[in-house]
Amino acid sequence: MTNDPELDELFSDPADREVVDLLKASRPAAPPLDPHFRNYLRAKLMTEARRTLPARTSRSWFPFTLSPRTLAPAMAAVAAGFLVVLGVEIYLHRQPASIPVAVNIGKTIDKKTDVGTAEPIVIPFSGPVDKKAVADSVQIQPATSATKQWVGQNLVIIPDHPLAPNTSYTVSLKPSATAPPQPNPTAASQPKPTAQPAPTVAPTPVVVHFTTARPPVLPVVPPSFKSLNVSWGHDSRLGDFTTSGSVLSAAWTPAGKLLVTRPAGQPGPGSLPSSSASPTPSGSPAPKATTDVWLMSSLGTPIRILVPGGSFPAAAPSSGLVAAWRVVPGNPASLEVWDLQGTLSATIATLDGVPDRAPVWIGADRIAYVDQGRLRVVDLHGSQANGLAIKMDRGSLEASPASPLLAVEAATGSVVLDLAAGGSTTQLPPGATGFAWSSKGDLGFLVQQNRGTDLYVAADGKIFNRVATSTNGQTWSDLSWGPDATSLLLATKATNGNGAPGLILVNRDGSSPISFGATSREYASPQWSPSGDLVLFTRRDEAGGRAFWTATATPSTTDAAENQALAEVDKFMKARIHGDSRAAQAELDDAGLAAYQAGGSLLLSPAGNPFSRYYPVTVQLAGSTPNQFLVGVRIFSARGGVETSFFEEQLTLVLQGQRYLVHTVKASATLALGHGPTVVSVEIVQSPPGEEVRVHFDSDLKSETVSRDTIQVKDGDGKLVDARVTFDPDNHLATLAVKLRPGNYQLVVTPGVTDVNGVMLAQEYDAPLVIGG
Amino acid sequence: MPDGFEERELVERAKQDPDAFGALYDRYFPQIYRFAYSRVRDQSLAEDVTSEVFFKALKNIQRYTYSGHPFSSWLYQITLNAVADHYRGQHGEVDLEEGASLPSGGPAVVDEVVRRDRSRRIWSAIDQLPRQQRAAMVLKFGEDRKIEEIAQILGKSSGAVKLLLHRGVDRLRKELPQLEAELT
Repeated sequence: MTNDPELDELFSDPADREVVDLLKASRPAAPPLDPHFRNYLRAKLMTEARRTLPARTSRSWFPFTLSPRTLAPAMAAVAAGFLVVLGVEIYLHRQPASIPVAVNIGKTIDKKTDVGTAEPIVIPFSGPVDKKAVADSVQIQPATSATKQWVGQNLVIIPDHPLAPNTSYTVSLKPSATAPPQPNPTAASQPKPTAQPAPTVAPTPVVVHFTTARPPVLPVVPPSFKSLNVSWGHDSRLGDFTTSGSVLSAAWTPAGKLLVTRPAGQPGPGSLPSSSASPTPSGSPAPKATTDVWLMSSLGTPIRILVPGGSFPAAAPSSGLVAAWRVVPGNPASLEVWDLQGTLSATIATLDGVPDRAPVWIGADRIAYVDQGRLRVVDLHGSQANGLAIKMDRGSLEASPASPLLAVEAATGSVVLDLAAGGSTTQLPPGATGFAWSSKGDLGFLVQQNRGTDLYVAADGKIFNRVATSTNGQTWSDLSWGPDATSLLLATKATNGNGAPGLILVNRDGSSPISFGATSREYASPQWSPSGDLVLFTRRDEAGGRAFWTATATPSTTDAAENQALAEVDKFMKARIHGDSRAAQAELDDAGLAAYQAGGSLLLSPAGNPFSRYYPVTVQLAGSTPNQFLVGVRIFSARGGVETSFFEEQLTLVLQGQRYLVHTVKASATLALGHGPTVVSVEIVQSPPGEEVRVHFDSDLKSETVSRDTIQVKDGDGKLVDARVTFDPDNHLATLAVKLRPGNYQLVVTPGVTDVNGVMLAQEYDAPLVIGG
Repeated sequence: MPDGFEERELVERAKQDPDAFGALYDRYFPQIYRFAYSRVRDQSLAEDVTSEVFFKALKNIQRYTYSGHPFSSWLYQITLNAVADHYRGQHGEVDLEEGASLPSGGPAVVDEVVRRDRSRRIWSAIDQLPRQQRAAMVLKFGEDRKIEEIAQILGKSSGAVKLLLHRGVDRLRKELPQLEAELT
């Protein structure tokens, strides 16, 4: 709260002033707010407004016929994101008049793919229906718990958790609904009128299929990668005007793409003049947004706009979500969570002031930010953490990707806050700033001294040691860990004319600092890409301006190798999906061809049941060098345009000459879709002192069925590996903490895992795990 | 704070244009919800009150005329009425006379106060103030409203609002020894 002359005039007594000052300095706690409520109420109001206000221009009854851009705010209103309009036409016959009630449900997304995982499902009805009966009849496969709300004549289905990526969903509405609202209250409450030919029964069930978007395949940092061995390659400016326009901020996503803040209205796919800057139907411009958040390729090619009106984006470490501030003039800035498809997931907080920094993800489900000089932590439902009483201003704030630790440059001194231990703190040296966490959970930070800068590293964020000091007259800043956590990249500036500015690469233990990139240029904010093949940074140009650049870090053989191997898999799979035997065989070596010919798997789909799509489930280095990859692919088959089954193949790709070719194949049995939960993907993540095996499911599971008895890792001899199993129901994610020596292992998921409806896994799921040397 | 002219234009458009009304909603939802919650201290009730406020605003926006005060003043007025309507005939809200003391001789309040941190403590104490004082204090210190605007919202004179604020601050200072001890 700023100075208020009214209060100054009103309260002159020092004792009163103290109370007033305390009131001004404090704020009532933010009230709990269901993030869906605001959007839900807005949708209701807009429906009512369209019904009651005298329209200036002719409008449809529901805004779904507007252009997508104009539609966006209204769609977001109904529930945290763009609406999935399930295009279904249900003709419910009102007997005995036999006039169709004509429940026309808009445009179809039936059989649509690439549906965002955070999208609510909206079914708009145009005629009277028995709302309770319709809502009660909704079934979703895979098992998905959801909240159902009516917004006017629209049934909004909001999954309680984000949908699983890469998954075919079936939403069915049993035709027990139609009852006109008034005539007979008992008729409206009749359960399941399908059992008898009641007057309000529709002829057939409504079934809608759609497929969610593919998640990013996280890059692999192979054991052979050593950040200290790389050298500067060539650099390119991120803000080329012909491609990406101006760039105001940039940061990596975990999948190696760029989150970029650009001025509103910049060119790119789907770009239109900012919705908030567009003329309204009345002809007057609405308040203007000044920036948008975009997703770009690592080369700076705009992919899509993610957050219209957004700024200061931050990507979650693993969930494919992005948090960003959105400012609408005249309103408090809101902290919003979006997915990478550009769908609003939730609004979780508001800020009275203007945001000046990106929010900070703590794991996949909490976010820290600074509001009015106070640290706040909020979960994805908008619930604020209690008990935090840390004041901070512009100091550094970073969260560990490996544990719930938060490094905070507080007003009273820098600390590491342990959120798992009731907010207990570890004090850092006076002046500690510029925090950076490694992928393994080590904390780097800097302390500016009179004559230079000290670099500290705190193992696991707890025990810190000074590991290096800059030469006299040099100031260090802007730490960034190499993705292998063995080195740090930092910016250096000369003071008093001592030395040259530039970037320095230094070992984790402070040894062997080397210059990185062209010296004599002023760099800032270096950030390693997740796979270590690129460095993002800003650099001052000759004209004194500052621009974002990326530079290749060569050699980047491993990442290139993985991309090359995946590209070969993609060609192979597309050829098979298109029924092109010759092109598919061109991706096989002799052993691979023999394996398919011997019936190891079907190269092409059988007649009448074509392969419809595929996606990689796992990508693993099958050794210590990037010459061999193990790629798990899931292949779906369809009938009549609807996916009905899938099977998996484990493909070994071996570098032969200049290409990776499929060398071996091992196929699973075919599984019918819609018969219990399935595993969507498997990841192995380094988590010192061991590893984590992360198993993603497609369904809401019964938590008690996810245990050491049902999800296991076995070694090469089939012996059980000791593992600690945890389960995150919000993300359908089971995590096994294990300590594995280099070698081959197997993940086993037994049919004991059941979804919330009690349906078991259709059959045991096995997947190979390879730990490189 | 939105520019007054721009807000007036937006309100005028909202009388005919649903999108403009949506813009008003987007602009004022946070503060109205916050204010409603500060009065009822229950998420579900705050949602009900907020819904009622905006539906009433939609229903009556044709009759709204600019009176020199922000549009939000009108919404705050509706909120206060909605809260009063909600509690009419119920016993959920302690409605003390202006001259009354804080409830129950203090120990419960003080115990509560002692447990909480400084900020929560003082806002908790505000919750215990008489209704008009509490509204004035929340609008002034929680919502940064001008005294004249608060007067319009509460249907009182500016002088009366100043008196309410004075009494509120005075009450906080006198009735919370723990706070007093910390402050001195």
